[in-house]
Amino acid sequence: MSQEVPEEFRLLCMLHNIGATKMERSLSVQEICAWTAMETSFVELHLQKLVELGYVQPIQAEGAGKYHLTPNGIRKVLTLYS
Amino acid sequence: MRICVLTWEFPPRIVGGIARHCEGLARALAHLDHEVHVFTLDFPGAPSYEEIDGVKVYRTITELGHPNFLTWALLFNHFLEKRLGDVSQQVNFDILHVHDWLTAPAGISFKYRVKKSVVLTVHSTEIGRAQGLHNPDSFAIDGMEWWATYEASKIIVTSGSMKGELCGHFHLPSDKVKVIPNAIDSTKYHVSVDRESVRRRFGVGPNEKLVLCVGRLVPQKGVEHLIHAVPSIVWRHPEAKFVIVGEGWLKGHLEYLARSSGHGWKIRFTGFLPDSEVMALMSSADVLVIPSIYEPFGIVALEGMAAGVPVVASQVGGLAEVVEHDRTGILAYSRNPESIAWGVDRILSDPDHARWLTGNAREMIQKAYSWEGIAKKTLEVYKEVQ
Repeated sequence: MSQEVPEEFRLLCMLHNIGATKMERSLSVQEICAWTAMETSFVELHLQKLVELGYVQPIQAEGAGKYHLTPNGIRKVLTLYS
Repeated sequence: MRICVLTWEFPPRIVGGIARHCEGLARALAHLDHEVHVFTLDFPGAPSYEEIDGVKVYRTITELGHPNFLTWALLFNHFLEKRLGDVSQQVNFDILHVHDWLTAPAGISFKYRVKKSVVLTVHSTEIGRAQGLHNPDSFAIDGMEWWATYEASKIIVTSGSMKGELCGHFHLPSDKVKVIPNAIDSTKYHVSVDRESVRRRFGVGPNEKLVLCVGRLVPQKGVEHLIHAVPSIVWRHPEAKFVIVGEGWLKGHLEYLARSSGHGWKIRFTGFLPDSEVMALMSSADVLVIPSIYEPFGIVALEGMAAGVPVVASQVGGLAEVVEHDRTGILAYSRNPESIAWGVDRILSDPDHARWLTGNAREMIQKAYSWEGIAKKTLEVYKEVQ
């Protein structure tokens, strides 16, 4: 393929594959970093982009910000593999 | 017959054509008085079990995850297999029908457990989707596809070109692979639509021409070639506006290309739209362009034809079998913006010819692409391997 998968999309795919696909399975930045072995600054930057694009939903849970995919985010991920 | 269907996509989990294919086939089989059980993955808002038009749908939650896609796919297969095992305590299935490699591990394990034959539908291949095998995951997926074709008693593909690709790549005997095309419920497209209001909603005025493109925004769909064709189309038809429907990881790049074309204000990306909106757009468009570079079937061509919109499609794969050039649509050279522009011009410049094409296309769909006909052909395959 001539085009590389964008970095924020790679993060979106990982969030999907580790199961952050509904509110009750939302993950904090720390948990996402632990799962994906990605730097905190990288995760924060791309999460912000994904939230702006409507692919990730932020919530407040247990006093911290947590994140999960929206239905459009799930569809976006599946386009890579279908 | 008690039929067990395994698919990773089933409405509302809709990505490409697989969900619509599985839904159409399952409903048609149930309508023919067969017991159809669909096992699939969960989706936000969808129940874990429901019955739709006689089709029993089981949606499985994948309780474990892993960042790597292949590992995740094997994990969800485990949970699918668990659900299958549970349901099979009550239902004695006669046949297992697996769609694509993604659910093949569960299907193959289940085959050995219940001692029933597997029929595999291959909707596309990794080597075709990725235009080659470029990384370890691709090689593994290719291997799993081969393994699934080996374990299946019969394989269904939706076009002759896909049969050629599969037999050539996996060295399969020709008589193991049966071509059964996709279908659509054409009555769904006979809806009355307020054309002007739909066009207005998407920024297209009454005196403008709506050029529509519907598909996932991934390289195989060739949307960049349509964007490269925009200047030529606009030169011939300054009133043309372009609406691109779909999601995909290439979206950002395509938006950049659109802006760079100098005609960005004429090109609108809608993202994912529900079926009702896509149908309304198809019924309101002046031409539907399908610029794919790889297309095992191309169900969107049938959808466009059923909606009565003239189709300009790349001459690749299944599209070249679905569209008969200059009789049911226009075929353009693949990866060739000038050829796409020529096809669009042919439609927009000659409305009488466009009407003749859409009339022929609708007639052809009713004859060759009904779900009932496709379900009967699929049942013949089930009976051959039972």
